[in-house]
Amino acid sequence: MLPVHHPRALWRAHGYLPVEVWGPPGTDATPAGAHLQPFLCSIPRCGLAFHLAGGLRDVDVVVVPHACDALQGLGSILTDLPPRPLPALTPYLPRATGEVAVAFLAAEIATLSTRLAEGSQRGPTADDLLAAALDEEAADAAFRALLDARPRISLSNAAFYEAVRSREYLPPAEFRAVAEVALAATGPVDGIPVLLSGIVPEPAGLLACLDRHGVRVVADDTACVGRRRYAPGTSTEPFRRMAEALGSGPPDTTRGSPLSERVAYVVALAAQTGARAALLAIPGSCDPELFALPVLRQALEAAGVRTLHLETDLSMPFTAQADTRVEALLESLP
Amino acid sequence: MTLYASVRHGLAVTGGRAVLGVVRWRDTFRRPRAHPHLAPPLRSGVRLKELIARHYLKGRTASSAVPVAWVTSGAPVEPLVALGYHVHYPENHGAICGIRRVAEDLCTAAESAGWSRDLCSYARTDLGVVLTGRTPVGRLPRPDLLVCCTNICQTVLGWYQVLAERFGVPMALVDTPFLYGTAPPHALTYVERQIEVLVEAAERAAGRTLDPGRLHAVTRRSKDACTLWREVVDRARHRPSPITAFDTFVHMAPIVEMRGEACTVDYYAALLEELDGRVARGEGALLEEQVRLAWDNLPIWPRMRWLSDRLAARGAALVASPYARAWGELADLIDPERPVASAARVYLHPILNLGIGQRLAALRALARDCQVDGVLLHSDRSCRPWSSGQADIRDRLVREDKIPALLLEADHSDPRAFSEAQASARIDAFLEGLGA
Ligand code: SF4
Ligand code: SF4
Repeated sequence: MLPVHHPRALWRAHGYLPVEVWGPPGTDATPAGAHLQPFLCSIPRCGLAFHLAGGLRDVDVVVVPHACDALQGLGSILTDLPPRPLPALTPYLPRATGEVAVAFLAAEIATLSTRLAEGSQRGPTADDLLAAALDEEAADAAFRALLDARPRISLSNAAFYEAVRSREYLPPAEFRAVAEVALAATGPVDGIPVLLSGIVPEPAGLLACLDRHGVRVVADDTACVGRRRYAPGTSTEPFRRMAEALGSGPPDTTRGSPLSERVAYVVALAAQTGARAALLAIPGSCDPELFALPVLRQALEAAGVRTLHLETDLSMPFTAQADTRVEALLESLP
Repeated sequence: MTLYASVRHGLAVTGGRAVLGVVRWRDTFRRPRAHPHLAPPLRSGVRLKELIARHYLKGRTASSAVPVAWVTSGAPVEPLVALGYHVHYPENHGAICGIRRVAEDLCTAAESAGWSRDLCSYARTDLGVVLTGRTPVGRLPRPDLLVCCTNICQTVLGWYQVLAERFGVPMALVDTPFLYGTAPPHALTYVERQIEVLVEAAERAAGRTLDPGRLHAVTRRSKDACTLWREVVDRARHRPSPITAFDTFVHMAPIVEMRGEACTVDYYAALLEELDGRVARGEGALLEEQVRLAWDNLPIWPRMRWLSDRLAARGAALVASPYARAWGELADLIDPERPVASAARVYLHPILNLGIGQRLAALRALARDCQVDGVLLHSDRSCRPWSSGQADIRDRLVREDKIPALLLEADHSDPRAFSEAQASARIDAFLEGLGA
């Protein structure tokens, strides 16, 4: 599963084990250069390079949700001119809002379900699909609880994100168990409270840097984590319910949320959690984030939250220069 | 809308029209400068200049006189035209800035305000215009409505959201799911509903109600203009070709920004007649056409003349491009009897909203129909949707179709992403390989 939003319940109801690939970080993206230009962000380039190196050899299907022009390009290559054969699904995420978007997304998920059922003896029943949706909603509730409790959880940033991001591969029940353990880790907390925004808290050196400098991420607004705080659906029709949940997350650039809503949400999140600074970790060339960036920074600064834009590259380690910039930001805090 | 603004607009348009008519008359009799390798420019170019000048002149005084919409190039514009909007296309204006070589300064202004140099140069140019008020066309009208259609890219969504924030005006979104083949029914319904919402938003912003008869007439004119435009670009099938892709990049302006207007239909009818005259006389756009090439992606606006001269000097005629042809391809889908429903289908299917398999097929068909000897693929660092997949397209053309193809790195507007020395060396070597 490539980023960002996708109906986890659907894959599970069809008996698939969904595992998300955000990069993966640390992949040498060079082999992807024969297919994708270097001016695309590192996520599709790392993803393709990983595939070309055989990283997806045990995978039955790759899902490339339509999050942006870059992933559209990758999805299109894998579907139309695959350099290495692998079935690809490319669901489209509506950027419109309201009933028209829910109806479209429900139909899109139904189409995916039909494709997944092709060739198998029997697809899941409506009851199976609804049960899977409810299971995921329970895991989503644990996920939200974990994010809400972050200011009180004594885990380091690296340990907290390891727990919260296990949602990207663990089945719902197992994730809930992990969340319960993390939620129990309450105790005295300290550190400079910051908000982390951007796409994904990678490369890993980023969190290590924050831990080293005594920074505590109290609020998450990354597409990978905080923007996937899905609320439960309400419909009893499973595809529609999945669509309702997917469209319920906080404002997100990859869902085309209006800029004013997004800015208001992030500023309020910083205020609620007492974040003193905001780190915006954005992969280079990420159009959805880069359009919003100047407006978001201005609004945060106006609200008294210092900002730092860190351009990330998932194919590279976190740099010493970026480390120094984080340090400088912290020193500048009043 | 105010009375003063309406009167001022009316006077400016009438006066401007008269002045531009005189300029056209003068230019018609001007003898074009002889070019060592190119035929004299198309006479229609004089009329084209007048049409474009008129469009931007109207825009100067349009604010508060008529409703104004800023729209993406692939947006369903017919309801706006029928409602009497003045429609401004920031991408076309960006192309003008590129040609006039002011895009770099405008991009720099946007970059200084925090927008990344990685973003599309059309967007940066436009944000630079909004921030500085500088434009080579005098003045741009302030929008009452923004219309953003994602059938060309998602980039426009981020860009128009910034404009909506900046101008404090509503943005109507027409989101078009990316297609791998023809649109499924749920995608058609999704887009049709959004166009209905767009009509409501446009009526609200204009304070008028859409007249179905007018929408029918405008849609009919769009269909006629698109059909004529397709004929125009298809004249490149003749040997020698009476028109180059460079000509089409320039002459496509009306089909993009004056779609649905009567003058556009008349203009393309006249252009077609002129091309047919060239065909009948056996005249080509190049004095000596030795090899024929196709172009993939947007042009490199600031270096178009340079590239045209360089190719022409070696007898290489750039005859076709899916980019210019895109505006003609959908003509058959336009149905004036069902303007909204057919618009959903039309605006879902432009080439940029289709998978690279279909883009490859389109390029192959064009290469076959126009009998090209080679393909130049512009790897445009600004346009990720069009540039993604080009390496694989090139590979298939070379391997499976035995058509030589060259990837050329540049940017459609930002000259900082173009190296003349590198491009020259690569083009020369490529043409040598083709025997030109
Ligand atoms: S980082 Fe941005 S551009 Fe890259 S895949 Fe994610 S959303 Fe798309
Ligand atoms: S990214 Fe490409 S399609 Fe989109 S506005 Fe820029 S040039 Fe046009």
